[in-house]
Amino acid sequence: MAIDQAMCTSFKQEILQGIHNFTSGSGGGTTTTTGSGNTFKIALYTSSASLGAGTTAYTTSNEVSGTGYTAAGNTLTNVTPTTSSTTALTDFADTTWSSSTITARGALIYNSSTTAGTANRAVVVLDFGADKTSTSGDFTIQFPAAGASTAIIRIA
Amino acid sequence: MFSVEVSATPGSVNVQTTEGRGMNSEEIAANAVAKIISISDTADPIIKAQAEAFRERMYWVIVAACDQSIKSDRTTLFNLFKTNGHDDMAEILRTL
Repeated sequence: MAIDQAMCTSFKQEILQGIHNFTSGSGGGTTTTTGSGNTFKIALYTSSASLGAGTTAYTTSNEVSGTGYTAAGNTLTNVTPTTSSTTALTDFADTTWSSSTITARGALIYNSSTTAGTANRAVVVLDFGADKTSTSGDFTIQFPAAGASTAIIRIA
Repeated sequence: MFSVEVSATPGSVNVQTTEGRGMNSEEIAANAVAKIISISDTADPIIKAQAEAFRERMYWVIVAACDQSIKSDRTTLFNLFKTNGHDDMAEILRTL
């Protein structure tokens, strides 16, 4: 069992299929959505989870449970994709589980708008490097600066 | 034969947790500043110094804004508790 940080392989394929839309703004979406952006979520996992490049969709297996955490995780606020030099990138606002008592080793960002074919398609697996614990406090994920060499999702 | 190679790499997130409290203004401001400005290690020293000074100034502006926001929200909550007859809770909030 391990969590390996990676851009999911299925996500790379789905980019070429036009399945994901990171445009900021409300709107539903299916696998053929155009225009308005999809809804992306982030779910937390324990160190018992097996997640990596081969992950294709959100799973409840070994998802974190605890005070202040609801299954399926938090909805992310996405930032409309942009470019920096020759790199395309997108970003999310930091997210917090307030008044929570949880322990997590990693996370999965997924597209909760995708329903046709495969629901909740995986985007990226994040490895925190070690267990992180909040005790009656905040559990905050701070996304990196939206730069060409730092952004959470970038295509160079 | 022609081919175009692209690479897609995830960035690294920073996880912050607290125990028995929420994040304070200084911690939130540090996060905000990190999102707003990043300074390259290889930047020209003069530009780097200017950017660091700007980042420092932004940090304190955001700390002040966070403090103001907390106080303002407490005022709203104070009145909400007071209106609903929870004077003791309102007093606790007022003295925080």
